[in-house]
Amino acid sequence: MRRHRRWFTGAVLAGGIIVLAVFPLNSTPYTNYQIALVATYAVAILGLNLVSGYAGQISLGQSAFFGLGGYCSAIATVKAGWPLPASFLLACALPAAVGLVVAIPAVRLRGHGLAIFTLALPLIGVALAKRYADLTGGSEGLGARISQAPAWTGLDRDQWTYYVVLAIAGALFLLARNMVNGRLGRALSTIRENEVVAVSMGISPQKYKALAFALAAAFGGAAGWLYVYTIGFVSPVEMEFLLSINLLAMMIVGGMGSVLGSLLGGVMYVYIPVLAGTVDPVRTTLLYGAILLLVLFFAPGGIARTIRRLRDRLRDWLAERRRGSGPPPTAAATADNDAVPAAIQHR
Amino acid sequence: MTVRAVQQVIDGLASGSIYGALALALVLAHRATGVVNFAQGQMAVVSTFFAWSFVQAGLGVIPAVVLTVAASLLFGAAVERVAMRRFERESPMIAIVATVGLLLLLNGMSSLIWGYELKAFPPAFSSGTLRAGGAVVSITALGTFLVLVAVVLLLYALMMRTRLGLALRAVADNPDSSALSGLPVGHLLMVGWGLAAGLGAIAGCLVAPKLYLDPNMLAGVLVYALAAAVLGGFDSPLGAVVAAWIIGVSENLAATYIGFIGNDLRISVPLLLTVLVLLFRPQGLFGRREVVRV
Amino acid sequence: MTGTGVLQLVGVVAGYRRSQVLHGVDLEVAAGGVTALLGANGAGKTTTLRAISGMVWRRGTITFDGRDLSRLRPDQVARLGIAHVPQGRGTLARLSTAENLMVGALRRRRDSSGVRADLQACFDLFPPLAQRRDAVAGSLSGGEQQMLAIGRALMSRPRLLLLDEPSLGLAPRVTQEMFRVLRDLRAERGLTMLLVEQSVGVALDIADTAVVLETGRVTLRGPAAELAGVDEVRRAYLGS
Repeated sequence: MRRHRRWFTGAVLAGGIIVLAVFPLNSTPYTNYQIALVATYAVAILGLNLVSGYAGQISLGQSAFFGLGGYCSAIATVKAGWPLPASFLLACALPAAVGLVVAIPAVRLRGHGLAIFTLALPLIGVALAKRYADLTGGSEGLGARISQAPAWTGLDRDQWTYYVVLAIAGALFLLARNMVNGRLGRALSTIRENEVVAVSMGISPQKYKALAFALAAAFGGAAGWLYVYTIGFVSPVEMEFLLSINLLAMMIVGGMGSVLGSLLGGVMYVYIPVLAGTVDPVRTTLLYGAILLLVLFFAPGGIARTIRRLRDRLRDWLAERRRGSGPPPTAAATADNDAVPAAIQHR
Repeated sequence: MTVRAVQQVIDGLASGSIYGALALALVLAHRATGVVNFAQGQMAVVSTFFAWSFVQAGLGVIPAVVLTVAASLLFGAAVERVAMRRFERESPMIAIVATVGLLLLLNGMSSLIWGYELKAFPPAFSSGTLRAGGAVVSITALGTFLVLVAVVLLLYALMMRTRLGLALRAVADNPDSSALSGLPVGHLLMVGWGLAAGLGAIAGCLVAPKLYLDPNMLAGVLVYALAAAVLGGFDSPLGAVVAAWIIGVSENLAATYIGFIGNDLRISVPLLLTVLVLLFRPQGLFGRREVVRV
Repeated sequence: MTGTGVLQLVGVVAGYRRSQVLHGVDLEVAAGGVTALLGANGAGKTTTLRAISGMVWRRGTITFDGRDLSRLRPDQVARLGIAHVPQGRGTLARLSTAENLMVGALRRRRDSSGVRADLQACFDLFPPLAQRRDAVAGSLSGGEQQMLAIGRALMSRPRLLLLDEPSLGLAPRVTQEMFRVLRDLRAERGLTMLLVEQSVGVALDIADTAVVLETGRVTLRGPAAELAGVDEVRRAYLGS
């Protein structure tokens, strides 16, 4: 049964990759950039999921790291002439360092304290960005067209951007998946369920929470780098508090504590306004809020969990048909990578 | 120099009073339902917009504010019943995220209904000043401070000296036991949130003349209010108010006398202060170390 | 079961979110009577009280003086004159001792002199509470909190008192005194009681009738005096 499943999943993945690889060659630049943006925000939400979904520490400051990564990218490449891989590393490392410094005192605070503390980050970030205008371009922002399709590929800029961003995002998603399935994920879920038990097992909640926070910041910074790569521009708007909230909202809608959910969150973030046919930030905000509340009311595990439930039901139905008469099997305990966090299971 | 410092202190007390009013709202909502209402500021903004509309319709400022506060009592009760009841017994994260959803929804709605251009809001106090030993006190600042003091006293009287107050505190403490004693828990939760919304309306109407009314008016104030509530030890109304005053004064002094902070980084002051205090005193300045024998 | 019993349960099933604990309980408590509900741990004694109060899901007939309780919320049940002293005492930890007692009387709006008199009576009955009347209730000892819970229930002048292991944590002398007062109250006000107790001796001492529960069903009932020596009672507690 498991071999079956793995073969099936592998086939789906391979098919998906092929589709993704071929797709940009036939679509419009606008769509390609849009999908690159989906990947970008998905990475940001993935980071947020690490600290809020898996570690259970609500963070309202992800946009600060996103913006910081963006600024690192723009400033390092454009103003200091660094090569792209170097600026990418900076965009991950600097936010991670900041995140760690901030996290070390912050995780000692009880729940509310941390949330409020993270709230300050975007505000301080925006103020700093505006203040050091020589470096950052101030309120007007900084242009940084850093993506350039090498001549030998014969690709257009939008297509090249698409491939680079998706490749990096894909690698980051794989990395996250491995972390979540491994020791980090297990430690975090122990901590989230019962800190006392975790301590008795030798797991230090504070150390792991701080680690989760730093990782979230790193992913956020990476997403910021990807953003600049795609859009070619960064400004204080990318650090704003509203973005933090929207990311959090879409994380929940996509599925808290779920790698797949992070991807879905990115999709929702970009496509909700598109589907609603509006670029008006006002209506967008309204929609994000309304959809978040709807999801919380009717599907608190987010879309990812709903998908999983449907898939399980489909699988059970198929298995029952194959079996003919006889009792239906109980829903197969899916030893999934995406554990539904205890927080959702309460009701 | 001293006069300037005193001036800063006075101004700090005035802005602290605004933070305090919203912080009180946060504490009340939290005591009632255990939820940190991140939408408290947005609810207050909606209330203030209603007040603005009343004034546009011809009402005087004070009657408009009074009417708004009354309407906000109902508004807060409705929000609790419709949007929050479902999430109160869930994990804290879900409840907070629900309030975030509410924040987005109300923000969008306000922009949609009233637009996002800044609006002038008429002040409730005259714009004169008083001289007190060299320092200049604006009547608005004094009035704001006194309003908060009056609110605190009224709230204290309500909570500690009336049956309703006892019922509210009982439900906040132990809803199950309160139900067994015959208290209508659901209704009392609604009252708690109604009061919180009323307080938010007062905060919004007090600060709108200075900050100009737009959907994001209280975003910054919310941060200060949250810091004040946390610093005070989230369940102590008095603590929240005192902490708010401390925050108001210290951020003003820091902004004036510490060059690096200046005006744009003032927000870091309350947060640093809060973190420092919490590191040494996790229950906040006035919170109670929970000593409950089982 | 026929009769003019004040409290009646017929075929009651009840339980918690995913488990069913009561599988058809029939029970009747006559007006002014004291019924002891006995049984081993997990038999469903607490669940029965909670079913009456509306704290768990339940189906079947539950009536008090003919009024159907099965669809009421806990606070509505309480307002019919049923006071439930819960297991675990349910102390309002951040309020003071006196305030805890006053919460019990909050529904008695027009009777402030009566309430004050009852408050004093409570302090007379439980002197340790009087000494700590302004202390934060959460800092009281276990036994004191038990007294507080009973006092709070009495402050509402109930007609039916549901007691879930009231003697837990109380010194024997205090327990005796408490039951003496309860018996007096029964005489004075016709207070009816349904009493869950782990300690069989204490329960059978005060009760007129006893009912034994085993895995969610009534297996034995009868006058308390008769049941005192019966083997089945012992078996119910110690297992077969």
